[in-house]
Amino acid sequence: MSKRFLLLTLVGLLVLSIAPMLAVAQDDDTITIGFLPGVVDPFYQVMEIGVRQAVEDSALPVELVVQIPENFNPSVQTPILDALVARGDLDYLIIAATDKEQLIAPLQAAHDAGIEIISVDTFIGDGDYVNGPVTFPLSYIGSDNVEGGRIAAEALAENVGGTGKVYIQNVTPGISTTDQRAQGFREGIAEFPDMEVVSEDFNNDDENTSVQQTSATLERESDLVGIFGTNVFSANGAGIAVQNAGLSDAVDVIAFDATTFAVEQLRAGVVSLVIAQKPFDMGYLAVQFAIAHNQGVSSLPKRVPTGYAVIDIENVDDPEVARFIYQVE
Amino acid sequence: MEPVLSLRNILKRFGGLTAVKHVNLDIFPGEVVGLVGDNGAGKSTLIKCVSGVYHPDEGEIQFMGQTMAFSKPIDARRVGIETIYQDLALAPNLNISANIFMGREAKRRYFGGLIKTLDEEKMLSESRRVIDSLDIRLPNFGAQIDKLSGGQRQAVAIARAVYWNARLMIMDEPTNNLGVPEQRKVLDLIRKLRESGVPVILISHTLPDVFAVTDRIVVMHRGHKVAEKQTAQTDSQTVVEYMVGARSDVRAD
Amino acid sequence: MALESQTDVSTLTATQQSVRAQRHVLLTLSRVWAWVFLIALIVFFSLSVSITSEGDVNFLTLRNSQNILIAITPVLLMGLGQTFVIIAGGIDLSVGWVMGLSSVISALLARDLVARGIDPTPAIFLAFAGGIAASGMVGLINGLIIARLKVPPFIVTLGVSFIVRGVALLFSGGQTVAGLPTQLRDFGNESLLYWVGGGANQLHFLRRPEVTGEQLRALDRILGWPVVITAIVVAIAIFLLHKTQFGRHTYAIGGNKEAALRAGVPVDRHTILLYVMSAVTAGIAGLLHSARFSGGSPTAGDPLLLGSIAAVVIGGVSLFGGVGQISGTVIGALIIAVLQTGLVMLGVEAFWQFIVVGSVVILAVLIDQSRDLIIGRAES
Ligand SMILES: Nc1ncnc2c1ncn2[C@@H]1O[C@H](COP(=O)(O)OP(=O)(O)OP(=O)(O)O)[C@@H](O)[C@H]1O
Ligand SMILES: [Mg+2]
Repeated sequence: MSKRFLLLTLVGLLVLSIAPMLAVAQDDDTITIGFLPGVVDPFYQVMEIGVRQAVEDSALPVELVVQIPENFNPSVQTPILDALVARGDLDYLIIAATDKEQLIAPLQAAHDAGIEIISVDTFIGDGDYVNGPVTFPLSYIGSDNVEGGRIAAEALAENVGGTGKVYIQNVTPGISTTDQRAQGFREGIAEFPDMEVVSEDFNNDDENTSVQQTSATLERESDLVGIFGTNVFSANGAGIAVQNAGLSDAVDVIAFDATTFAVEQLRAGVVSLVIAQKPFDMGYLAVQFAIAHNQGVSSLPKRVPTGYAVIDIENVDDPEVARFIYQVE
Repeated sequence: MEPVLSLRNILKRFGGLTAVKHVNLDIFPGEVVGLVGDNGAGKSTLIKCVSGVYHPDEGEIQFMGQTMAFSKPIDARRVGIETIYQDLALAPNLNISANIFMGREAKRRYFGGLIKTLDEEKMLSESRRVIDSLDIRLPNFGAQIDKLSGGQRQAVAIARAVYWNARLMIMDEPTNNLGVPEQRKVLDLIRKLRESGVPVILISHTLPDVFAVTDRIVVMHRGHKVAEKQTAQTDSQTVVEYMVGARSDVRAD
Repeated sequence: MALESQTDVSTLTATQQSVRAQRHVLLTLSRVWAWVFLIALIVFFSLSVSITSEGDVNFLTLRNSQNILIAITPVLLMGLGQTFVIIAGGIDLSVGWVMGLSSVISALLARDLVARGIDPTPAIFLAFAGGIAASGMVGLINGLIIARLKVPPFIVTLGVSFIVRGVALLFSGGQTVAGLPTQLRDFGNESLLYWVGGGANQLHFLRRPEVTGEQLRALDRILGWPVVITAIVVAIAIFLLHKTQFGRHTYAIGGNKEAALRAGVPVDRHTILLYVMSAVTAGIAGLLHSARFSGGSPTAGDPLLLGSIAAVVIGGVSLFGGVGQISGTVIGALIIAVLQTGLVMLGVEAFWQFIVVGSVVILAVLIDQSRDLIIGRAES
């Protein structure tokens, strides 16, 4: 039993050590681009569609290598990254780093191995690739989550007339994207003197917990006017709690990320606003940057904010807005 | 007289080790047979072949004139071979009646047997009956087994065997870990079983006990049956000599 | 002299009597300690919420009680099957992702069957049957590997949970399955009874009263369908564990597996059934999730696994097997939910909530363990 296991391991190691050599044998004109998103989810799936579209639209031969981690977690992403580097044929790597500190070293190693790095959605270091601690990546293309939170706050404030108490349903402390959205939301609300964030709870990405916490908060704060859900589950749970308390008219619920499910809940009246990022743009731009760099363009911007779209029940059918829904099929 | 149990040429191996070697043995109605031998002599292995825990690699087991092939212990129990194991086989977290009825719980039927519930009252009263019939005293009848003393547990195990109409009772070191009064109680129970016509195979290291209750003594040494004596016609000195291998009748049978 | 010794004896008897009385109280307390703990929590939150809000907010309201009951449904359902498994000396770590799988499968079926023109109600029934069947299959695989191949349940169910996770993500494409029939949403969010408060004070049975505006806020859903379903499963579980041979065998296997085997308990078959049962109750939680949130979510159960095991343990089920009751698991789930709701209503900051919940879980288990000591001492 254990002998056979040992044998298998050895054979596996042998194959792994030979594989890169086989892969290197490729002609030189092709631009090889690796795409390594954070996890399997509609957001990154749409980004992948953008990546593939750009590859298709390219006049130059581009070879694409896609790897998707099972978990949004640096310890899952790093080995995949190392394996991609070990192939030895990548010219560019488009990556949504799952941790801004822990991915620096492995990406530095990739860069040292001759691979140019483009950050999408998330960044490493502090995201400032000009003056910050990390400058080796070509560019960071993504929406600023703090900005997204601020936009959510402004949209909510406009809906409720700039006064009242609001509540934040967040996922898990320590996730940079959702933490930044919450932070931006607080900053945005602070601009309105008659508005106040009463509290923030963490639902562990569980809709049931989100319902429970929101219901309890609604009991405590009878004059709540709005809830910001930092992701779709948070907002959906909050929206269901609001609906079952008969408060749909009084409390607005904002969802972050325009998944088809979020939009469906918007149409059902469970959430009132959906903040859409532009993952397609991120993926498409990143590939274009890689190709441009390959062709000698040297003045690529180090930072490209892709911005947001705010979707509500009035504009959801407008094709100009609807195209920002994360439609996978 | 027909033997109740008849073992022919039983052999049992564990890998390279042969724990029981070509053993023949007959047990007759109403007799108590002592099975003695040094540690590792193969006593437990032999009786586990009879009680369906192991399959013998060679040989034949006949019970009440029928050839038997048990695939699990419950097969042996179904034909009336009850075993009190060295390690007792009671569930410490269940009470006395639940243990007596373990695996064969009494049930009440509802809706033509569609729904069946445990018949606790029946199990309790039946347990009480069998325990009283054996003159066993248990202070707290609803107590969990792990609240009972070793002797009381032994008594429960014996009561269970009796309740299920044992036609052959096998006891593997039933007096182990018991205080002297409790040991005596168990010996009394063995005599009671004999009175009711149930043959008993008693495995024990305590020779005085063996001499006190058995009709016949069988000695094993390193997997072989080395002696078979009427209890009244031998003494412990002789038995010990067989046990340590200083004497052997192994060629005799 | 004689007089003195007499006084001595009588004092002794008095102390003995009071010691005995004390023991009696302790013993009774320790038997119902989980209830005591739960009631103490409720009293504490009722007082503290009303004091800190200066009487504006009440903890003990009809609505809040219903919120808590709804909140415990998934954790409790997962915990019910787990209770059987743990009493029998096993553990099932796959239930989290089984719940997700069931949510995804039932959502996909409901969506696609309705799209094929089948009426929503039969489609939902079929979808539920599909979700349960898929869950049962996973339980069967768990059970077969554990019972037949004798691999420790911890390893098997952990491994299987990875596989189930992959399958759930594959089926759903990694995203929430949307586009479910509205009947499903209604089933998940409507209830057996409705109470219209705010002066109207009417009780409605089964049908939601047509109310609008201010009255909408005064509408309380009593015994939502998920609560009703869970209550039925609880009743079945109590019956099975405490009244039937199946339950008796579960305890016997947990107490002494070898003894159960020798006594003729079909240990292997029973073990397989236990894991099927555990997967099925988790599967029911998955169905209810799809209904409540009108979306099939592969990750629905993963965050709940530890909470469900905590509920079981707080309820007094021993992780070593052989000991435990369904009522304990129910109370365990209630204790956690009351605590979480209470802390939010008190406005306790989120980080402190983690600390308090964790501490209470440990405290609860500690009390439960010392209970055995107290009972042991009091009985000897
Ligand atoms: N399941 C098993 N696997 C391998 N070897 C075994 C097994 N059971 C018993 N043995 C070996 O078979 C031999 C006989 O063991 P057995 O338990 O029958 O002895 P015993 O006469 O009952 O001894 P004791 O008086 O100590 O109970 C010993 O050498 C023992 O180590
Ligand atoms: Mg032995």
